[in-house]
Amino acid sequence: MSENKTENKNMPFLSIKDLKVEYMSDGQAVHAVNGVSLTLERGKTLGLVGETGAGKTTIAKSILRILPDIGCHIRQGEICLDGDNVLTLPEHDMRKIRGNKVSMIFQDPMTALNPVQRVGEQIAEVVQLHSDGKTDSEARAKEMLEIVGIPAERYYEYPHQFSGGMKQRVVIAIALACNPDLLLADEPTTALDVTIQAQVMDLIGELQKKYNTAMLLITHDMGVVAQVCDDVAVIYAGNIVEYGTKEQIFDHPSHPYTVGLFGAIPDMNEDEIWLHPIDGLPPDPTDLPQGCAFSPRCKYAGEECQKGPIAIYETADGHHCRCCRVDEIRKQEG
Amino acid sequence: MMAGIAEKAAVKPHKKQTEFARVMKQLRKNKVAMAGLIVMAAECLLALLSPWIIPYDYTAMDMANCLKGPTAAHLFGCDDMGRDIFSRVLYGGRFSISIGIIAVSISTVFGIMIGSVAGYFGGQVDNVIMRFLDIIQAIPGMLLMIVISAVLGPGFINTVIALSVGSIPGMARMLRAQMMKERDNEYIEAAQSINCGRVRIIVNHLIPNCISPLIVQATMGVAQTITMAAGLSFIGLGVQPPTPEWGAMLSGSRQFMRQAPHLVIFPGLAIAVTVLALNLLGDGLRDALDPKLKN
Amino acid sequence: MTPVIEVQNLKKYFQTPRGLLHAVDDVTFTIEAGKTLGVVGESGCGKSTLGRTIIHLHESTAGKIFLEGQDVTKVSGKALKKAREKMQIIFQDPYSSLDPRKSIDSTIREPLAVSGRFSKPEIEDRTKQLMELVGIDERLQKAYPHELDGGRRQRVGIARALALDPKFVVCDEPVSALDVSIQAQVLNLLKKLQMDHGLTYMFVTHDMSVVRHISDDICVMYLGQVVEKCSAKELFKSPMHPYTKALLSAIPSVDIHHPTKREILKGELTSPINPQPGCRFAARCPYAGEACHQAQKQEEVSKGHFVTCCRVHEVN
Repeated sequence: MSENKTENKNMPFLSIKDLKVEYMSDGQAVHAVNGVSLTLERGKTLGLVGETGAGKTTIAKSILRILPDIGCHIRQGEICLDGDNVLTLPEHDMRKIRGNKVSMIFQDPMTALNPVQRVGEQIAEVVQLHSDGKTDSEARAKEMLEIVGIPAERYYEYPHQFSGGMKQRVVIAIALACNPDLLLADEPTTALDVTIQAQVMDLIGELQKKYNTAMLLITHDMGVVAQVCDDVAVIYAGNIVEYGTKEQIFDHPSHPYTVGLFGAIPDMNEDEIWLHPIDGLPPDPTDLPQGCAFSPRCKYAGEECQKGPIAIYETADGHHCRCCRVDEIRKQEG
Repeated sequence: MMAGIAEKAAVKPHKKQTEFARVMKQLRKNKVAMAGLIVMAAECLLALLSPWIIPYDYTAMDMANCLKGPTAAHLFGCDDMGRDIFSRVLYGGRFSISIGIIAVSISTVFGIMIGSVAGYFGGQVDNVIMRFLDIIQAIPGMLLMIVISAVLGPGFINTVIALSVGSIPGMARMLRAQMMKERDNEYIEAAQSINCGRVRIIVNHLIPNCISPLIVQATMGVAQTITMAAGLSFIGLGVQPPTPEWGAMLSGSRQFMRQAPHLVIFPGLAIAVTVLALNLLGDGLRDALDPKLKN
Repeated sequence: MTPVIEVQNLKKYFQTPRGLLHAVDDVTFTIEAGKTLGVVGESGCGKSTLGRTIIHLHESTAGKIFLEGQDVTKVSGKALKKAREKMQIIFQDPYSSLDPRKSIDSTIREPLAVSGRFSKPEIEDRTKQLMELVGIDERLQKAYPHELDGGRRQRVGIARALALDPKFVVCDEPVSALDVSIQAQVLNLLKKLQMDHGLTYMFVTHDMSVVRHISDDICVMYLGQVVEKCSAKELFKSPMHPYTKALLSAIPSVDIHHPTKREILKGELTSPINPQPGCRFAARCPYAGEACHQAQKQEEVSKGHFVTCCRVHEVN
């Protein structure tokens, strides 16, 4: 696993190239991810923003190769993690990566823990699986509990004795127990209250800084993105429509979908009677429109938008936008 | 994720479709279950039409052909009294299958009534009902049936009663468990908020959402009941000779098993095929009854 | 003018194996016709229970509920039926709030049929009107809930709630399960319906940006009690109660250049079972002192701005 690492020194820590994933559902191919490319450096946070069913979780699961075996195929692309293409690694090597080098925080803390196992043991289990046998897994588990702000004596309690926020902290402790290089956080705070969310996000940020962990943060909450991410990828119908640094995306949103997304959030500082929703619905992933997937809902859509696949343009240094009319729209809107 | 995909797929216009049509459409996709359904339908049809299609009267004795194996004239051979086994198996289907269906229908109806009351009201009502069911369930099933048939005496109707009583608690429990799960859904609160009465909530909202596992259970229960009825007949408590119920046929011919195995093979085969067909159908129904499956 | 809804000292306790759960404890407010009262708070603070108690899905433990001036606290039978027709609810979860075995039109038709006030053709007409009103295409009338997306399902729930022309609607987190772009569609629909039909809303949510957008007045709840109550503008401009301050500062702001200065709360929600007298927020409150463990009184700090905190003047 490590012999060719030196050659790839200048490669980014995580790079996904042209990833395509399909599900089979009722004899129809569901195009969940359609050619996603992105990169992520150590210690950085990339926000993956999009609506339900946009394919965010599928991307994260592809990195860990934990997609369902039946009816789900990674059609093409490569996922390079620290120089290795995880899509071609044998299952045996993948097992060493999961939970150790890469770990995932799932959305729902209520179901992510085993209800009949003590929380401490659940953390210790991960440590044991990935240790050389010398580490004292119980001690490490207790240490992790303390790190996430839970007294170590609660090691012997069961998940039902914990509140939602505490459970999510246990999930984070499990995810971080082996000091992973990459953390996949799938809506880690969606199920939590705002005050608890703030605590948990701060905790993740702190630990990330301490261990120089890269994080792929999946969320639909623009506020969370604004607070923790360095880069942002906006994803729509399985494809990245806009990609850039947080400042670029928030200050100069270019793709009509991104603009619409910002517009739909109720403004905290202004009074308005009507919100500005994006009309229509996300497209049927079994039957995506030709050309730009957003064009049926886009008020700027023209003929060229429906012709064929739209390329992703670099509009500024590192700011990419998948819209063939981006320049015209910018002029129009001033 | 998958749910998100599924919901967006349905933007096509919708035609009116009854629940039955929807289930049949789903069922048709399952070849094995369809085979079970066709076999069952054929068996029921044959049993119904048997008085007109059987070649011999099922009680007609032909002493010359006692214990004779299958021939062109007697397809399944003849039994110890020279009766045509083919005719008896066909005609016996009327009894065996109807015992199964009627007994299960009775237990399902009672099970639904008892289970829905216990499940919806909960609390003390539930406690009383459940303890009563516990008592019934504490008695081994076969023993209970033997006791009931012994008390009521043999015969078709009494056999049906004996067979249904034992399976009521199972049905009731299953519905109660479903009911308690469904009761917490918000659509029940929604129904309350629009002034639906208790009966309407139970009958219109809860039972339709709870009944699928019962239908599956009932389908398989018919198979089980047929074997149990056969068992009762076998020990002489069920339907009495000369009625050609399959179990009774088996029991009547057990002393000839060695010299004339066809006496037990054909009724036994009839039971086995029916049970298998019903079980396959039940399995298929389990999937087809789920409304969340896409059309 | 009599307010549409008036709630006085409403209490709802649940008996649990570990003791009495004070889900709603001494809540008082009024909502004028055509207005929206936002009720915010974190999960388990009793905001949903409050809504359900008002519309009689739960029986209240103590206190009074007035609907258009009439005492409806202990109504039953026909009077309850009549009261319920005027008070409706839109649920949070568009997945579980619709009967999975009923087609869209039969779900919308049900309240009309149950009320017994309409003839068959009237019911059919009204069902069509309602579907149009909430923006569901007629071709979907025979569809089942699982075939629709969350936004459309929520529209069906709205149509069902509006079927009998209610005066007062409890919106229990109606948009929290929806994506942002769809959420805006549904919020606009609710607002339009309110304007066209003069509806009065009680809008329960945990999303501060949504509540600010839709509400005229806001109640902030913490563990069953109202800690602060004032107009929406006032609340966001000058929050007084330490909990409200923490809540507002915890909202992640979309403005990347002016991040909010956050007051991170320590600890977790305490249990609402057999609570101690005194301020329930005291255990997490950075300003808590001795006096906070005594019973608290609501105080009107400025006109229409009520705060339940004994140290409100020192804190601000």
